[in-house]
Amino acid sequence: MPKQSFREWLETRLGWGQIVNFLQKKEVPRHKHTLWYYTGSAILIFLVIQIITGFMLLLYYKPTLEKAYQSVTQIMTEVSYGWVIRSLHHWSATLMIAFVFIHLLSLWILKAYRPPRELTWMSGVILLFLTLAFGFTGYLLPWDELSLAATKVGTEIPSTIPLIGRWVTQLLRGGADVTGDTLTRFFGLHVSILPLSLILVLGFHLYLIQKHGMSVPLREEKQNRPLPSYPFWPNFLLRESVFWLILLGSLITLSLFLPRGLGQPADLMAPAPVGVRPEWYFLFLFQTLKLFPATILGIPGDTIAILLVMVAVGLFFFLPLLDTDPAGRKGKVITWAAVAFIVYAVVMSLWSVL
Amino acid sequence: MKLKDSLFTRRKFLNTLIGGWLTALGATIIQPVIKFIFPPYREPEEVILPAADYELPGPNSFKTFPWGSKPGILKRNDDGSLTAFVAVCTHLDCNVTYLPEQRKFYCACHDGWYDENGINIAGPPPRPLRRLDVIVEGEKIIIRRKGESA
Repeated sequence: MPKQSFREWLETRLGWGQIVNFLQKKEVPRHKHTLWYYTGSAILIFLVIQIITGFMLLLYYKPTLEKAYQSVTQIMTEVSYGWVIRSLHHWSATLMIAFVFIHLLSLWILKAYRPPRELTWMSGVILLFLTLAFGFTGYLLPWDELSLAATKVGTEIPSTIPLIGRWVTQLLRGGADVTGDTLTRFFGLHVSILPLSLILVLGFHLYLIQKHGMSVPLREEKQNRPLPSYPFWPNFLLRESVFWLILLGSLITLSLFLPRGLGQPADLMAPAPVGVRPEWYFLFLFQTLKLFPATILGIPGDTIAILLVMVAVGLFFFLPLLDTDPAGRKGKVITWAAVAFIVYAVVMSLWSVL
Repeated sequence: MKLKDSLFTRRKFLNTLIGGWLTALGATIIQPVIKFIFPPYREPEEVILPAADYELPGPNSFKTFPWGSKPGILKRNDDGSLTAFVAVCTHLDCNVTYLPEQRKFYCACHDGWYDENGINIAGPPPRPLRRLDVIVEGEKIIIRRKGESA
């Protein structure tokens, strides 16, 4: 048998040379909007931190009515660095969701969903909703006053959907009301069903991004000249890793100086605490629901609001198919719709806090 | 590039610098993770038992009590004094029992034997049973870690 190195031995069996080749040849287009390419990997960094800190919290957390609050207290007060790890999990979630929004809105405005990248966009919208579902289910797990109130409201909202509403609410709650069963159900979603779904959809999303390469903004594409580019390895990765370090530093600073607290234990019979509000990323929806009158033309206001939100979500998901003429008048309107959405979300969120 | 009298190249110097810095960064992240994974040691400082429940009338009588998450055995000696043991075998952590007729502690896992003073006499146990301090204060029996009695 001819002598072969360990590297060759592995290569014959794994055939990973192709991937290495691909990464060595991968180029990242260089233009004045290159910065927005960093937002995707920022999400991945926070996702990795979520997975690691999530595994760690799982070692001590107990998902039952009797033990949930107590076990979080134990993590916060007895376990070495427990409060830091929990705070990191909270802040990394917050930053991850913030970057998911920045990522989607920037791609919307840059029209990165143009053919052949429609499915990349749609899988991205699914990832957005999975991320929000992570936030919603994770919020209940410490089982304090606020998390109980937020979950009662959040799981009641679908009940206003005609026909299937009540059924959706019962499915989410595991019964007619939010109880210990809801907690166990949300825990299962948060640590098993959602992570598996996320990994699958994310794998698909990343595959498509590698297959099609980075999208180039319309204006650059129209100029009909070859764009300058960076090699992915090492030039682009080096720039990205500087950005990652800044993010990591910000995350640790936030977690240490604004640590996540823990409220009073949840009491199923107590009145809702004053000033109950969802997390910041649901505030604009919260305020929208508050503004709707009780009835409009005999139809409950909540029903109309939720149907409008569902229509908006549908339009958002099918955006690549609607935007058939990106360079034309219709395309401009769709770009301005993104700006209008940002203004709406910011104004509504501020309104609900002030 | 290597200067004439230099011991290493510029590339090697920079690689070492970046590598060392990354190692330091990694270590500061790994250290809290490891500390977190291992739960805090939770042996009790002391356990207080109501004397009424632990009268132990005759010599050689005994009763178990919870010493944190391990069992403890409180035993009346022939001279009327009390002795407390952590009732866990020093071999492989099985719980032991006291057999008053034979005046021996017995561990069923690997047939380990200790005499009435907790000294290992037969089978695999490498060390005597751990002893605890016993202080009787009126209605209370206070059991403390050995040598920590005030």
